Amino acid sequence: MSAISVHDLTRRFGDFVAVDRLTFEVREGEIFGFLGSNGAGKSTAIRMMCGLLKPSGGTAKVGGIDVGRDPEGVKRRIGYMSQRFSLYERLTVDQNIRFFAGIYGLRRDRLEARRRFVLEMSGLQSREHVRAADLAGGWRQRLGLGCAILHEPPIVFLDEPTGGVDPVSRREFWRLIDGLSARGVTVLVTTHYLDEAEHCHRVAIIHGGRLAALGTTAELKRAFHGRTIIEVHAGRPVEAMRLLDDMPDVERTSVFGTAVHAVVSMKPGEAARTIRERLEGGGVAVTRLGPVEPSLEDVFLDVAERG
Amino acid sequence: MRKTLAVARKELRQIVRDRRTLVILLVLPVFFLLLYGYALNWDIRHVRIAVDDRDHSAESRSLVSAFVNSGYFDLVAAADDRTIRALLDRSEVRAILIIPSGLGRAVRTARPIAVQVLLNGDNANTATTVMSYALTIVRSESARYQPTAAQPLVSVEPRIWYNPELRSTLFLVPGLIAYITMITAVVSTALSIVREKERGTMEQVRMAPIDAGPFVVGKTIPYFAISLVSALGIVIAAMALFGMPMRGSWLVLLLALSLFLIGALGIGLFISSVADTQQVAFQAAMLASFLPTFMLSGFIFPISSMPPFLQVVTYAVPARYFLRALRAIVLKGTGIETVWPDLAALVGFALAVLTLAAVRLRRQWR
Amino acid sequence: MGRIAVLIWKELIELKEDRDLFGIVILAPILQLFMLGYAATTDVRDVPVVVADADRSVASRALVARFDASPNFTIVDVVTSPNEVDPYLERGRAWIALAIPPGYGEALGRATPQALQVIADGSDANSTNVAIGYATNLIAGYAQALGARLPAGSVTPGIEPRVRVWFNSRLDSRDFMIPGVLALLLLVITTNLSSMGIVREKEVGTLEQLNVTPLRRWELIVGKLLPYALVGMVDVCLVLAVAVLWFQVPLRGSVTLLFALTLVYLMSTLGLGLFVSTISSTQQQAMMTTIFFFLMPMIYLSGFIFPIENMPAVIQPLTYLLPLRYYLVILRSIFLKGVGLETLWPDALALAAWGIAILSLAVARSTKRAA
Repeated sequence: MSAISVHDLTRRFGDFVAVDRLTFEVREGEIFGFLGSNGAGKSTAIRMMCGLLKPSGGTAKVGGIDVGRDPEGVKRRIGYMSQRFSLYERLTVDQNIRFFAGIYGLRRDRLEARRRFVLEMSGLQSREHVRAADLAGGWRQRLGLGCAILHEPPIVFLDEPTGGVDPVSRREFWRLIDGLSARGVTVLVTTHYLDEAEHCHRVAIIHGGRLAALGTTAELKRAFHGRTIIEVHAGRPVEAMRLLDDMPDVERTSVFGTAVHAVVSMKPGEAARTIRERLEGGGVAVTRLGPVEPSLEDVFLDVAERG
Repeated sequence: MRKTLAVARKELRQIVRDRRTLVILLVLPVFFLLLYGYALNWDIRHVRIAVDDRDHSAESRSLVSAFVNSGYFDLVAAADDRTIRALLDRSEVRAILIIPSGLGRAVRTARPIAVQVLLNGDNANTATTVMSYALTIVRSESARYQPTAAQPLVSVEPRIWYNPELRSTLFLVPGLIAYITMITAVVSTALSIVREKERGTMEQVRMAPIDAGPFVVGKTIPYFAISLVSALGIVIAAMALFGMPMRGSWLVLLLALSLFLIGALGIGLFISSVADTQQVAFQAAMLASFLPTFMLSGFIFPISSMPPFLQVVTYAVPARYFLRALRAIVLKGTGIETVWPDLAALVGFALAVLTLAAVRLRRQWR
Repeated sequence: MGRIAVLIWKELIELKEDRDLFGIVILAPILQLFMLGYAATTDVRDVPVVVADADRSVASRALVARFDASPNFTIVDVVTSPNEVDPYLERGRAWIALAIPPGYGEALGRATPQALQVIADGSDANSTNVAIGYATNLIAGYAQALGARLPAGSVTPGIEPRVRVWFNSRLDSRDFMIPGVLALLLLVITTNLSSMGIVREKEVGTLEQLNVTPLRRWELIVGKLLPYALVGMVDVCLVLAVAVLWFQVPLRGSVTLLFALTLVYLMSTLGLGLFVSTISSTQQQAMMTTIFFFLMPMIYLSGFIFPIENMPAVIQPLTYLLPLRYYLVILRSIFLKGVGLETLWPDALALAAWGIAILSLAVARSTKRAA
């Protein structure tokens, strides 16, 4: 049985369609990623699945419960963490834990066991009595996750949990998510960091409120079958892009760091040769040039463009 | 200068985005002036009175008629021993006239007699006036039976300046103007700085190379513009709809209004710079302006009657100066040569408060 | 701990940790009552008078001395001609001017009645009325004393009014105002706490976090409002202590009843704050709405200072919508009249009805799931 089953889920705000007939399933224990730019509808979708927002149409079954019809029914069985970590600033680490534990009805032994678990998990054992406001970003994030899973929910929703946090903490955080998944917890996480999306079992790319693509990262990359991505390092990248855009076989160009990616509808060898000819013919010095494996970013841009 | 304007522009954008707040700041003040100016007055009429006539003579009935015909009293009930307590407890009447049996006979045989007037003292303000009405009526009724009563050797002929009919509206409306303007101004700026502190966007501001002084001024400008428009609206409405006269100079009025506004906005800014959360700022703003302006500005209670320590406190209430200046300009028609002390006080107040805000902010930013 | 208990616990910790807020909601009311208690006096004292004595006789000076000796008046200056009083009134240096005409002393000696002009600054109508009243009284008493010394003919005795003031024999406006200030302070503080407090959680995001838990809607509301009610009751105790012990405002009725009905009142104020929080998305909006749509009308139209019976007939029905109106009657009655529920039940009932209505409305609006 799927942990999460969504069918034609829709949400309208007046004339604006924020979520447009989303349909997908999430298996138990899966780390499922929602990838999309800001405003694509990811948060809106999650909030509907958590019972925070009423769907305009379609259904969402979480843990077997139809959230549209019985929003309260799921709340015991899900954990949720929003972008802002939602901790009580003036309370200490320990007080925050006790508060949320109390809300979920944890008592005595179970409370103590879970409390210790969360403190250990977030690495805050020695800092129980520090106010949440005084914690640095990475710590708050882990505490936020901890408070969200105090009641050991089988399904966890994380909405942009790593916003504004340093890379090291982000990696740490994802280790924790892996740990959850290993224990059979289903995790649905939204992100706009592509490297994080690579970390998921499957990714759903949301664009303009619609499901633009869905699959494992390998499956998604197969969308480039028949096309090649050439990475160009040139002295004048802007000039290079302009020249390449004029070429008929170049579908699209984009900037990747200091390099330029060009999606070419040719085989690798041929693509590389054609590009090099064009650039050098146009007077642009090329440092390095060659086909690369499509990354999730390429996939995303591709989808966004076609969407 | 440019940075100040940049701050002002940004603040204006934020204000305009919050439609409800904008409407409140611009439209509500006038609405409230209308509502309260219409609703409130101290001219006491239709005073509810009950009569316990134990005499039932022509003379007693004449006394009762005197009360009814005076135009001040409404006879609403007949009282007796049992109901007196209840009538006063439930405040169904403001006074009870008890005419003893034998009044008619006493008057006809030229012997002294006393009537009782029980006053409901639960509202001391009204009671005083009701008492003087009642005394006057009884005394003049009594005088009818005393043809040879000596006229008092000395009596009083009152002459009222500026407000001959003693219309309390003319007294209240300037007070309302001062009050509504003050509250609107303080409240509008009270959250402006602390909001950014709470949201964390204050960090961005600190990064920008701007000094606390220009920052504070920049924040004040858009609120000043809005408040001035709103305040002028109230003044004009007061004149058009309540017949508040304008016997003085518009220029001086504008000056007084502007200085008052700057001081009031400054209070809000100072609170905003000191408070750490919006909730605290709100409570502090109310603490500083809601009741104190009402009660310590001379609006309702005369300052000269307050104990000395409190009179000193009122020096810190800008509405006190503004109200005096406003009444002088509008009702007395005096010019700047008379009101300049109040204006100077307003200037001093504004400077003090804005400087405090800037200093406080500078220290926090360091 | 039960869910509501843990909510209350959290709320109280947060309040304790916010030193500023704690100070303002617990200590400031005492300070305010103290100040405002002293401000609330319509007993007009030391009215500044300027005398234009065109007579300069023994008799006129005797009259001036009478004024000077009275605690109600302070002689600011004595000038000669009535024309000279203008600047005093214009500048507000004197509220009234007494004009004694030339020949006053002589006329008095011949027992000829005369009238003295009292010129008053009408821009402060309230005080003017009172000042004129005092002046009239003083002069009438003076006239009577003069009359008693003259060998006059018999004066027919007439009807003598005897006034007895119930409930407030000193006619001390303080006894009237202080319960009013208490009611208003309570209103301002608790409405603010509940409206801002809830919107704050909305803004910060913790409200969403709570909505995602199995916490029921009513549990959240009770858990939020109960601590504020507690704060309110603490305030009542403190302010009551100041009123009774310091200002000696008589408390003739039942203290238990006072507390009980205060709780009912708090239901309205907190419910009001809760309602405002459901229609505001930012704390700024909550504040503006609370002040302008609720607090300001209440201070003017509830009978706090301006008597409702003086208001135009169209407005009076509107005042029935203000919970403060009922609470003011209740407070003042318990303080000054010592009456109990048998007299106050209509107001108590109205207050309760209001509270239940606004709370229901607010609860209905505060859904866990956005529609």
